[in-house]
This record gives sequence, structure tokens and C-alpha cells, in this order.
Amino acid sequence: MMEDIHERALKLIDKMQVEGVTAEERGWLDLHLESCSQCRKQGSETEQALRALRLALPQFDPTLVRTTQMRARIRARELIENAVRMRALWISCTLSWVLGVVSAPLLWRGFEWIGHRLAISRAVWMTGFALSWVVPSVVVAAVIAWRQGRGTSVMEERWRVILENGHA
Amino acid sequence: MNVMGLATCWFMRTIEQEAEEVAGGLRRRDPALLDYLIQQHQYRLFRYLLMLTGSREEAEDLFQETWIRVLEKGHQYKKRWKFETWLFTIARHLAIDFLRRRRPQSLDALREPAGTARPFELEDTTSSSAFEQAFQGEEAASVATALGHLPAWYREVLTLRFHEDMELEEIARVVDSPLSTVKSRLYRGLEMLRKWLKDIEA
Repeated sequence: MMEDIHERALKLIDKMQVEGVTAEERGWLDLHLESCSQCRKQGSETEQALRALRLALPQFDPTLVRTTQMRARIRARELIENAVRMRALWISCTLSWVLGVVSAPLLWRGFEWIGHRLAISRAVWMTGFALSWVVPSVVVAAVIAWRQGRGTSVMEERWRVILENGHA
Repeated sequence: MNVMGLATCWFMRTIEQEAEEVAGGLRRRDPALLDYLIQQHQYRLFRYLLMLTGSREEAEDLFQETWIRVLEKGHQYKKRWKFETWLFTIARHLAIDFLRRRRPQSLDALREPAGTARPFELEDTTSSSAFEQAFQGEEAASVATALGHLPAWYREVLTLRFHEDMELEEIARVVDSPLSTVKSRLYRGLEMLRKWLKDIEA
């Protein structure tokens, strides 16, 4: 029975720090601690441990903040530039798609007429028509991939210069 | 409405306004705001990362990477979130990825003892001497030694609860674990910290 009381007190000491206790529990604990030196000792050890934890200060290198801020600024500029480029690319892609759709019947007739004049088989001029649709988008995708790859290496180069010289 | 009520109301509005400004600034990738946030949270973020990794060098690397990630993912931040919680969540994910790459080990080594944790956990390879070097002052030496003996998953919740004064629910969000897991880690971590400090002082 006595062990249960002490066990409850020790649990409440930790609970008070971790998740808090009710007023009733607090009242019971205070009353118990007044008469139990062993549990009181545990309570003060817990408080000491947490006080020591709160006061433990890790060493902080002040240059870390400046380096991080500089790096973040460069990355921010890079992301903003990329966003502007991507917006322009999306607008031109949309325009080209609309123009493509509008001009598709004319293009079809054009390919058909050339096929007829040059006596080319139907499959060949239809393939030509399909390629005229696919090739521009493939080229655009290749350009985007190339630019993104180039963007990363430019970023890495800028970052290397900062690390070597200490400034952008 | 009484004075306390008005003060609480004003305080809440200020917090909301600040969160809105942070969300807007992160969407715009405003460098001035980022400078301010880095300055404001420098110490707390570094301390959290140090507790996670147990290594000064790794904490410094992750500190920079966390802010770059904040910049890149800034548009995902919602003003209803507490910025610190979001920041620590990002830092934690980065730390796990980083430690997995740097110290590749089997998944068994990443598990908490008794198999209570999920496989995707922080590993614990900290040496207490490395940890001691990261702290300043003689008073901190015994705490650093004690912390060096604690596994990372206990150090993490201890710092979030007792340094950051986070609510248990917030901690659960950061560590992506159930509330019951957070509580049991806190109780066990507190018990171990107390025991080690007692042993060291004896």
C-alpha cells in the first residue's frame, strides 16, 4: 500500500513536468511531499535536471547565419528568375498550341495537297503532319531540360565562388 | 470585454497578422523576410538540429539546408500553422534523409528499442564526447555528457518540450508520431536524463 503511494507520487512528479497535473493531483502530491523526504528528493532531482537542460547552451558560430542568409538570397534570386522564365515559356506554349489547333485544318490540307502533287503515299504525308505537331513540343521540352540543368550548374558555380571568396 | 480579454484579442490578432505576413513573404520569396526569419530562429533551430544529430558539423550543414528548403517550399506554408512547428518538421525530414545518406545502416539500427518505433526513425550513433564539444561552459558539461548517453529520439522530444515549450500535440505533429509515443518518449527521456545526471555528479 505504501509502495503504491510512493509510486503514485513519483509518477505525478514526472507527469507534472511532461503533461501537467490536475489541481486535485497537485494538492495530493504537495501533501505527500511534505511528509516524504524520499519523494521530495526525487522531485528536486527532476527540477534540477530540467533546469540544467534548459541552461545548457550549445556553441553557435555567428558566421553561420550570414552564410545561410547569403545562400538563401542567391537561391531566392534563382527561383524568382526561373519562375519568370517558366511563365514566359507557358504563355508561348499556350499561344503556340492555340495557333496550332486553329491552323490544323489548313496544315492538313497543305500536307494532303503536297502528297497529291508529289505522288507520296497517304501514310507518309500523314506521318509528316503528325511530326509537324510533335517536333516543336519535343524541342521545347529539350530546351527546358537543358536550361534547368544549366541553371543548377550556374547555382553551384555561384555557391563555389561564395565559399572560396566569402562573398557573392 | 475586460482588459485581459482585450489584451488576449490584440495578442491573437498580432500572431495572426504575423503568420499572414510570413505566409505572404514566403510565397513572394522575400529575401528581407527570410533574413529576419533566419535571424529570429537561428539559435532554436540550431539547438534542435544539434539534439537530433549530436554533431556540430552536421547541425551546421542541416541548418543551411533547412532554410534553403523553407525558401523552396515556402508557398506550401499556411498561415494557420505555427511557423516554428513547420520549420522543425522540415528540419527533421532533412535530418533523417541526411543521416540516412551519411551514416547508412540497416533499418534495424534506426528502430527504437523494443520495436515501439516505426522503421523510419532517427538513428543513434552519437558519441557523448562529440556532443560535449558542442556545448559551452563547465555547467553545461555534465548535461552534455548526459545528453550524449541518451538516444536521439529522447533528446528530440526533450528539447521540443523543455526548450521550445511546445504542446504535446505540436510535438506529435513535428515527430509525426502518435501522442502516446511522444508521452512515453518524454517520460523515458526524463528518467534517463535524471539518472545520468545523478550518476555523473556522483
